[in-house]
Amino acid sequence: MGRKCLDYIKELNDYLDGDLDPSVCAEIEKHIGECNNCRIMVDSLRQTVKLCREGKEEKLPEELESRLNGMLKARWQKKFGRA
Amino acid sequence: MNERELVARAKAGDFEAFTTLVNANKGRLYALALKMTGNPQDAEDIVQDTFLKAIDNIDKFREESAFSTWLYSIGLNEARAHLARQKSTDLKPIEEYLPTRSAEEIHSASDHALFDWKDPHVALEDRELREVIDRVIAQLPFKYKEAFLLRYFEDLSIKEIAGIIHESVASTKSRVLRAKLAIRDELSKVFEDRYGKKMPRLY
Repeated sequence: MGRKCLDYIKELNDYLDGDLDPSVCAEIEKHIGECNNCRIMVDSLRQTVKLCREGKEEKLPEELESRLNGMLKARWQKKFGRA
Repeated sequence: MNERELVARAKAGDFEAFTTLVNANKGRLYALALKMTGNPQDAEDIVQDTFLKAIDNIDKFREESAFSTWLYSIGLNEARAHLARQKSTDLKPIEEYLPTRSAEEIHSASDHALFDWKDPHVALEDRELREVIDRVIAQLPFKYKEAFLLRYFEDLSIKEIAGIIHESVASTKSRVLRAKLAIRDELSKVFEDRYGKKMPRLY
């Protein structure tokens, strides 16, 4: 990946995030069509984000779940005088 | 009851309304804390302390953002405090993450698996893949993983993130990109270590 591709990297990222002006999108798509390295970069960055988006919600451990409500209730009573 | 009504009731001292807000957000907050710390015990502490701080400060919540966004900003401060003692190294500049060889050279080299991204779920079992990703994210310097997770895990805009982390839009964008490149780099290494030449090529 030469100097030219380095210039493209921030725009490739904006392109993937949908933050790029449509006129620049066309230019980026043309470049990706011609440059394997940038196509690999786009594919891999897209996949990286997709993988990191997974597992957005986790079940709380039972022990935390059972003590959380009591702790919050105690703090609430301290603040508001009731729960 | 919508979020605005729940917040109004909670501010007036309605614990049930607050509990509804807690239940709606605890799973995502715990997942975010796990990604920030890579450690279940730290993540539990962060969840607990975040909700306690939310009670202490609920009257200061000005409702300029979603309740969840406000909660995550408290959670990030808690995570920062938990990780304050963690050794922090800066990430490489963006250009150092870019391949230096041509695609043709990559194809003929023994490390071509580095660029196989067609189906990482085939490369690693789902559970193992999750653990690898969580570890890679947790190991990033705080300011990068914070920006990255707010962008892609919480789906906030760059502008919203810049407001939360008190950075310029340009600096926020740069942090997100550097984090993304670093994660991609680390995942590449894992796939390569595991499968080497056995993986099919991308082209």
